[in-house]
Amino acid sequence: MATEQQKYYADIKNVYKKPEEYTLAGKGNAYVRIDAEAKVTGNAIYTDDVYLPDTWYCKLVHSPYAHAIIKSIDFTEALKVPGVKATLTGADFPEGHNLGNPEAFKELADKEPLCRKKVRMEGDEVAAVCATTEEAATEAARLVKVEYEPLPVILDPFDAMKVDAEPIHYPPDQPGTASNLSIFTVMHAGDPDKAFEEADYTDEHYYKTQEIVHSAIEPHGAIAKYENGEWTVWTTTQGAYVSRYWIAWGLGVPESRVRVIKPMVGGGFGGKLDVFAHELCPCKFSQMTGHPVKCILKRDEVFKCTRTRHPISFKIESAFTKEGKLLAKRCTHILDGGAYGGSGIAANTLSLICATFPYKVENIDMVARRPYTNHPASGAMRGYSACQVHFAHEIHMDEAANDLGIDPLELRHINQITPYYTGPTGLEFTSCRFKECLDAVADYIDWEHRDRYPFGSGEAIGISGSGFMSGTGFPVLVTPHYCSSATMVRLNREGYAVVFSGANDIGQGCDTVMTMIVAEELGLNMDEVKLIQSDTTTTPWDAGSFGSRVTFLAGNACRRAVGDAKWKLLSSWAEEWGCKPQDIKMEDHRVFLPGDSEKNISYNEACFGYEEKNFGKCVAGVGSFCHEGDKDIYVKNVGNYATAYSFSASGAKVKVDMETGQIELEDFVFGHDCGRPLNIRAVEGQIEGSVLLGYGFSCYEECQYDENGKHLNPSFRDYRFPTALDMPKMKTIICSEYDEEGPMGAKEAGEGSTAPVGSAIGNAINYATGLTMRELPITPERIWRALREHEKTGKTAFGAEDLKEKFAAMPPLPQRYDV
Amino acid sequence: MAKRIIKFKLNGEDIETICQDNITMVDFLRKDMHLTGTKRGCEEGECGACTILLDGRAVDSCLMLAAEADGHEITTIEGVRRGGQLHPIQQEFIDKWALQCGFCTPGMIMSALSLLNENPHPTEHEIRDAISGNLCRCTGYAKIVEAIDAAAEKLAKEVAE
Repeated sequence: MATEQQKYYADIKNVYKKPEEYTLAGKGNAYVRIDAEAKVTGNAIYTDDVYLPDTWYCKLVHSPYAHAIIKSIDFTEALKVPGVKATLTGADFPEGHNLGNPEAFKELADKEPLCRKKVRMEGDEVAAVCATTEEAATEAARLVKVEYEPLPVILDPFDAMKVDAEPIHYPPDQPGTASNLSIFTVMHAGDPDKAFEEADYTDEHYYKTQEIVHSAIEPHGAIAKYENGEWTVWTTTQGAYVSRYWIAWGLGVPESRVRVIKPMVGGGFGGKLDVFAHELCPCKFSQMTGHPVKCILKRDEVFKCTRTRHPISFKIESAFTKEGKLLAKRCTHILDGGAYGGSGIAANTLSLICATFPYKVENIDMVARRPYTNHPASGAMRGYSACQVHFAHEIHMDEAANDLGIDPLELRHINQITPYYTGPTGLEFTSCRFKECLDAVADYIDWEHRDRYPFGSGEAIGISGSGFMSGTGFPVLVTPHYCSSATMVRLNREGYAVVFSGANDIGQGCDTVMTMIVAEELGLNMDEVKLIQSDTTTTPWDAGSFGSRVTFLAGNACRRAVGDAKWKLLSSWAEEWGCKPQDIKMEDHRVFLPGDSEKNISYNEACFGYEEKNFGKCVAGVGSFCHEGDKDIYVKNVGNYATAYSFSASGAKVKVDMETGQIELEDFVFGHDCGRPLNIRAVEGQIEGSVLLGYGFSCYEECQYDENGKHLNPSFRDYRFPTALDMPKMKTIICSEYDEEGPMGAKEAGEGSTAPVGSAIGNAINYATGLTMRELPITPERIWRALREHEKTGKTAFGAEDLKEKFAAMPPLPQRYDV
Repeated sequence: MAKRIIKFKLNGEDIETICQDNITMVDFLRKDMHLTGTKRGCEEGECGACTILLDGRAVDSCLMLAAEADGHEITTIEGVRRGGQLHPIQQEFIDKWALQCGFCTPGMIMSALSLLNENPHPTEHEIRDAISGNLCRCTGYAKIVEAIDAAAEKLAKEVAE
């Protein structure tokens, strides 16, 4: 059934090109990235490359304590440094204007631009200084004397929930219930208790994942100027509009007085979604001094003060028939939220939704709690919650398969989601090639003959599956009709078109996607489409780069915008030529009625003629894309979440040195259902990058802390992720079909592709070692220790061993939400 | 802060200028020479985003003082183009989609250039080894290795001709 939105845009759809007419979309190397030349020549302008005349510099003063009361701040010595011009503390920002992420949950915004009375993590920002040079600002920031009164530090999320725990933000309002809850979420369907009673097989297992950081190579930063009562801010953001909203709120001024421009962004991965002190302080200083002010974080500041991936502790119970049908799942996810909420408050919902696919399960009883701790704030990270959830749930899938005596591939096939399946809580799946992904991966890795690597021989293969939302509908800010993206396209009679897109290219290549969509529909070359991107003054609304939404949502908005322009142009010529608009084609710079050589004009003539008829009015189109849903999905977890879902499967071949525990990932295969790929190399690039993130997550990366919450490895020297020498051979297999709703049939390829990497590697390591590793990262040291202990005691399962007791001792949830 | 006069070759041009004694090469290039193609990623020699060539060999410009350039030849990403033409390494990075966010790209290209200066026919392992000091969080390195390999072939052909 067509939605109101589809009916609204029905005319426009008539003039869309048909897949057989595409000359760019999905056509191999028909085009290159539009930003590639700028990037290989060093001409690309990132935030730190924006140099305005007479720029001054801002440096932040950070707390050395993970939890403390601020007693006093003394700038005396700092002000003696030559070149120091101004200082800021929390009192310089309007009280109560805390920074968060979703506008609809503004009451949960909990981060002061600069801390007023209390710090909640090491690195929390307490003051800022502004000086004429970066060196002077750095020296002055070092000399700011802050007196603290330390408070008890809570690093374990289970300790944070204890009824008598020190409150990090506020005490629980119901005595006897869990303390320090930032948010909690439940998801329920069917009759899980009955299913567990009737099942042939039930189990209960615990898993744990660690804290990692996004590690975009470009550090966060911003430069702000103040002129005519308006701030212009160039910043490392994944969402210019959302940044503008929170910057304006933090400053206590209307949004009309703030312009946010996103220059090139050197990677985000979710770490640049929130709004930070390094954006607010330069704004304030630029107003105070009249100078542009820049603040670029150092690498250790990025580690400590931006965002991390939520560590999750899992309790998973499953119920199967002896034939392998998954009847029910009960699970509890404890997400370490760190000190603040921000983009992190979506993590619970996402963790539960991800736990319901890529397998059919009708009876579920799931809870996610996100306690605050004194770790750095956790937030969104590529494959948001999915990487952790699909690690735990996919290792669990192999454990269940082996207990049931069913081939793990077969168990996945028995339960796999099929096209047009509707989940028990209302998730509406459409196109789905999960089966094909599993088969392609199994075939490549020769799963059938996996016995060639005997159990515990030091060599093995592992597989895993996952699903992800192709375009989260959640628009972050409150928008009309849940509008997630809008785009404008102008056709120029001089032979080109301009697209005004709010989509935020942070490296993934969406600027190229938008350009290609417009060029394809208009029959122009790529360089005849000029893109104006993500600037709140010049481009229309877009929610940002997150939730694997850009190609699907902004891509659809862009296609509707060019479709709107095309519809107007072709309607005008159809009247002239006595035909229907959809009969006219736009190809190779020509506008023509096929089979009639009289009715064949250039693109320029077509635009000129339209303007002739319309008193000089140019051809312009506007398009939008809205999420069809209800925001209850974000509170009650009932209803549909995305317009489409992607599916993936992966296979890993590992070799483990049984003496040293050293891991070698020899081969990695990825099957992805991304709908119709708009560019194969771009999709491969997303997947190859995902394998790096997933390999780092499973075997390399972990933020480590001492007992006082001090970060022990805030540098790339001590926090390692794979280099070119560590990465395996990779094979991408695209297993997809044209998605009806996707722009030119595409679904997502950015985030879903990260989800099944860690679990495939984990499963392979488990078969290679003959052990079951249930906690990340699986490092050589952990394997070595486990192998030694196995030799001594015969123990086979390692990791997350403290969790059973901790889950059992958890205080209850507050009554009003409990189910 | 004390200053000194340094003379060196920068992207083929003779330069004589004043620099602060303690300014790192990366800051000197970016702030004083306005060459922002050399990136600051970690400023402690771990990420390779600031890689430049010192007398034809790759170095981290964050671990070097500008004063050390005195009497030497420095090449940055801005000096890689051959006149109006892109260098084959640059062209292959474009053609092979060997970049995403692009922040590591200038450093990667400088390391590749250093490698091919010394070893015109590198094996895949030698390519990976040469860029192992350049961290990339986006690509998984596969297409970067492919691009450098293709550029090596192209350059070898040029030499043969």
